[in-house]
Amino acid sequence: MNKKRVLWVGKVLSNREMMKGYLLMSVRLPRTFDAPLPGQFVMIHLRDRKDILLGRPFSIYGIQYHKSRVILEIFYRVVGEGTYSLSLLKRGTEVEILGPLGRPFEVNRRIKNIVLVAGGLGIAPIRFLLEYLKKGISEFQPRIRFYMGAKTAGELVELDRLEPLCEDINVCTDDCSMGYHGFVTEPLEKDLKSFPIADTMIYACGPAAMIRRLAGLLEDHPVPCQVSMEERMACGLGACLGCAIAVKGQNGGRQYKRVCKDGPVFDIRDILWDEASKEE
Amino acid sequence: MTINQTHRNLSVEIGRLRLRNPVMTASGTFGYGEEYGPYVDLSRLGAIVVKGLSLKPRMGNPPPRIVETPCGMLNAVGLQNVGVDAFIRENLPFLTQFDLPVIANIFGESVEEYVKVAEILSQASGVHALEVNISCPNVKKGGIAFGANPDMAADVTRRVKASTDLPVIVKLTPNVTDIAEIAESVEAAGADAISLINTITGMSVDIERRVPHLRNITGGLSGPAIKPVALRMVWQVIQRVSVPVIGLGGIMTARDALEFLIVGARAVQVGTAHFIHPHAAIDILKGIEDYLEQHQFDDINQLIGTLKPGGETC
Repeated sequence: MNKKRVLWVGKVLSNREMMKGYLLMSVRLPRTFDAPLPGQFVMIHLRDRKDILLGRPFSIYGIQYHKSRVILEIFYRVVGEGTYSLSLLKRGTEVEILGPLGRPFEVNRRIKNIVLVAGGLGIAPIRFLLEYLKKGISEFQPRIRFYMGAKTAGELVELDRLEPLCEDINVCTDDCSMGYHGFVTEPLEKDLKSFPIADTMIYACGPAAMIRRLAGLLEDHPVPCQVSMEERMACGLGACLGCAIAVKGQNGGRQYKRVCKDGPVFDIRDILWDEASKEE
Repeated sequence: MTINQTHRNLSVEIGRLRLRNPVMTASGTFGYGEEYGPYVDLSRLGAIVVKGLSLKPRMGNPPPRIVETPCGMLNAVGLQNVGVDAFIRENLPFLTQFDLPVIANIFGESVEEYVKVAEILSQASGVHALEVNISCPNVKKGGIAFGANPDMAADVTRRVKASTDLPVIVKLTPNVTDIAEIAESVEAAGADAISLINTITGMSVDIERRVPHLRNITGGLSGPAIKPVALRMVWQVIQRVSVPVIGLGGIMTARDALEFLIVGARAVQVGTAHFIHPHAAIDILKGIEDYLEQHQFDDINQLIGTLKPGGETC
């Protein structure tokens, strides 16, 4: 019986620290690796660490296609044992990659205005989306405005790679080290009034506090918004029910959905914030 | 995938239930099969044990529900499930396409709920056995409350057994002082087989925020960390009961599975391993086949329960 392949062995090509605690990793995969769409993720599993059992989920930051191989990029921050061990991997190390997984961002080609909102590491799926919008489908040329937030200018390590893709990048930093001083939602709020609602789609990814502020802002502005969420995961395939997120259920009730399978991309208006914001 | 199948007999019997091989999926780790269907040839599994079913849908516990611990993970999913009626309507038809025994894991907050779920599943076609979960550590009512007391465990077993013609497997919790006593009790109450162990209750704390990693505070530990405990308990139970025993708990490789079989488990369940390798059960099955070939066993039943006395002395 022919089964779809989801588990791959990749080889680390580079694993560079871009600034303290933030790394960009490229992994070489066979050409047969399914072409991922923006918003999808992979689980990376350390082959030689028996004590670190589970894979770790990472949004796809970029992908390059070559004749006989694919190069997958992830941008990550060291937050615990798993990511610390990942940060030590040297060029040539083999890792197991499960993916591509999850529901991608939906891209409607009739939309004329696209607004990208990224905070911190939320840049990962948003960068991939931007690249996809610019390079993937040439006949589709929406106007793209990018609101990019970070704690400090140093976190905006890949800005130089983004600038050629988008002329309208609004940088915001918490510490005033670059661009607008404050949250990304502040300049966005000013601009929102001028967006034609029927013709605009917002795509967002970032810390829960940012997404929550964005959700609050959009209560007064009925612009559609897709957001990529995160939660701890075990299987990545929808079986373990570990990565639950509280969303609106039928008849105004609540239900849990799986970030890995039903998401990670959700309609921002479906998310229930009493629980989703718990980490803040 | 048929080219490499051996002539060796891998089939085992769990009471009236005949399995083509002794490797099944553990409840709660393989969904309802659909999640893994695109990637795994389900018809190669010995059986599938589906995610625990209750009478009504259950929402499950609030997140965070899982956290990794050294060589294992804690989960407190809280038996989120679609409910037995939706399972029969929406999930069972997918599974019945395959030549695959379906074991329905059932859960109740009361004996009456267990009985009701068992009755409903017994009417459905395509369910081959019931696994009675008296061992979930993550729900407030039911589950472990039944599994930790020999009389209550016997009561649930007797009542479920009386309500169904399907073979009844009772799944035990390790969170007890004497698991063999519980095993004897459910055997006396009519259990056709016993599976063990469910997860071991555990906890993990985020020292920066000084909060439990799990919203439920405690969760069930699974993965390789629990395998020696599981193996010891399976061995203890096998000394005391004569019904078939299904071993599980931290089985990641064929070597792990073989330990359980040698100790006397008639079959094994693979659980947490699926979260790392979706085809873990199939890989383990292949490893068992290789072992049988290398050690010249024609029939897996010649291997089961062949533990010799003494340790590694030579």
